[in-house]
Amino acid sequence: MISYAEILPQLFDTLKPFTKENFRLKEQTELVAELGLDSLQVMQVLLKIEDHFDISIPLNNLPKIRTVKDLGEEIEKLLKG
Amino acid sequence: MNATPTQHQLRLKHGNFSTLSEALDYAASGETGCNFYSGRGKLTHVLTYAGLQQQAQNLARRLNGLELARGARVALIADTTPDFIRFFFACQYAGLVPVPLPISLHLGGHQAYVTQLKRLLDSCQASIAMAPEGFLPFLEEAAAEMDLVLIGGPETFASLEETPDPLSPLEPEELAYIQYTSGSTRWPRGVEVTQSAVMTNLSGIIQHGLQVQPGDRCVSWLPFYHDMGLVGFVLGPIASQLSVDYLSTRDFAMRPRQWLELMTKSRATISFSPSFGYELCVRRLGEDFNEQYDLSSWRIAGAGAETIRADSLSRFAKTLKASGFKPEAFLACYGMAECSLAVSFAPLNKGLEVDKVDGDQLSNNRLAMPFVQFSTDEYQPRCSKFVNCGVPLPGYEVQIRNMNGEVLDERESGVIFVRGASTMTGYFNDPIMTEEVLSPDGWLNTGDIGYWVKNSLVIIGRSKDMIIINGRNIWPQDLEFMAEQQAEVRPGDSSAFSVSSPDGHEIAIMVVQCREMDSQKREDLVQRLRSLVHKELSIPCYIELIPPRTLPRTSSGKLSRSRAKADFLTRIQWEEVTPMLSTTARSA
Repeated sequence: MISYAEILPQLFDTLKPFTKENFRLKEQTELVAELGLDSLQVMQVLLKIEDHFDISIPLNNLPKIRTVKDLGEEIEKLLKG
Repeated sequence: MNATPTQHQLRLKHGNFSTLSEALDYAASGETGCNFYSGRGKLTHVLTYAGLQQQAQNLARRLNGLELARGARVALIADTTPDFIRFFFACQYAGLVPVPLPISLHLGGHQAYVTQLKRLLDSCQASIAMAPEGFLPFLEEAAAEMDLVLIGGPETFASLEETPDPLSPLEPEELAYIQYTSGSTRWPRGVEVTQSAVMTNLSGIIQHGLQVQPGDRCVSWLPFYHDMGLVGFVLGPIASQLSVDYLSTRDFAMRPRQWLELMTKSRATISFSPSFGYELCVRRLGEDFNEQYDLSSWRIAGAGAETIRADSLSRFAKTLKASGFKPEAFLACYGMAECSLAVSFAPLNKGLEVDKVDGDQLSNNRLAMPFVQFSTDEYQPRCSKFVNCGVPLPGYEVQIRNMNGEVLDERESGVIFVRGASTMTGYFNDPIMTEEVLSPDGWLNTGDIGYWVKNSLVIIGRSKDMIIINGRNIWPQDLEFMAEQQAEVRPGDSSAFSVSSPDGHEIAIMVVQCREMDSQKREDLVQRLRSLVHKELSIPCYIELIPPRTLPRTSSGKLSRSRAKADFLTRIQWEEVTPMLSTTARSA
């Protein structure tokens, strides 16, 4: 079973291509407000995550995911489920 | 599990029914139905029209037990599920009016979504509300302070007591549903569509627009809460007894290739998308994909819902030529929720017809004169290209009028007005807004700009002020409202519009009059606004501060967005705007 601590660096790697050069991703980084992801980029991020972790993130959980941490915890929960 | 068949025995009827329930009753005597696919291409649910009729009638008997007034509104969170269709038709049989509500695809948009649902529930004065599992908490939170009779998931309603009384379905002159326009989220407008209006439109679409024939099959990923998704691909297939395969919008946005895979697998003949859907497909196709797809059955690839970008569509056709896609399959159409769905269709099997006009003549004299290339290399006029959206469906009267209300001739551009049996009766519970667009003698002001070429409509732009980003309609009023909520900004200090970037993408721009001189404070305002727009609407927006009293106004003193945009275009430096849009906004 993969833990949140192990998920986090993988998540940073996934998000890296969507950030500006030299931007330091943190757990508290806000995906939309800070990274400026538009709705299609959000879908690309989710696709990468779903394929990487082989999970399916329910649509209704998206409104609750604000930060990198929220996303990591959601992945952890789905992997456990 | 097997998908419902394409070929079937029932004689094709082209939507000539008097109500939606009558259309379903007929389709239920055949073997066709709807099929739901997962984002990974697996068939997850099959709902035959026969099954739908029986389940919807059963549910209608349970809803009757609630003893709601006839025509009471039933709010339905419209996820792409069989439950939505069951509830929609249960309302038809029970004499209740369904109101499809949107789902939210935005990260971190919890509060914004609840607020939006609250406004919609309030606007339609819903008596009961249903959300699929997972969305129920949002609905409950939105309805917390409202006095609804019942809120629940499908199971809650399934456990209601069945009543023995005979069903009395909605009649031709009653409402069929209320469709919220994808317009302003702050000031929602619910289009009232009667049974006779939607049936008139459906039979026009089926008989004339698409000329449905035996052997047709539909595929759709359009949301059920949009007019094209609902009327075009839920009600349309039922009214023409066709099988339809669904992919959810979210799955399409994530894996656009699934659309093509589904078209290949089901050998569907009819599918529609706004331009951006075709663009998204091309963008996400890798190398060596052509042998995977067989799109040779695709007879009608409809395009509408936003200004049709011919270049994007021809890129799609070129990319997928080896997969058997035929460019003649493209079918341009024009319509809006206020007309149920469709107003006009281009002729079938002809592909897109692009009208090239002299752009300078158009902006200076409002004349769409054919573009002529000069042989000398002195002055060259600008060439503007617009897609011909064809002849209005039978039963419509269409006029193009100038600012003074005078009816214009061929190639003179103006506002499109429509009258006919499938136009709305008004916006629900909103006489002021209704009066603004619908005249007492039944003419609907579409707000769209276009011109005639012979008897065909050419659309220059959708609702002249609307901002369309990735297929989503954003109302400038919503952006301006956010600006006006800031302490530094007063009402009438901001103007929002969109411009096309050099690479052809629409970008939202907001120009704000600002009295503040301190550069740090100015920068703070810009950042705050950008974050706010991002949070509420999930789009990037370029914010420009300008001195007080510099926004252009019309002679009557109203702010003019089109002139603000024209002014902006004269001073814009793209090298400054583009990086600003991708820069990371500091959190406010």
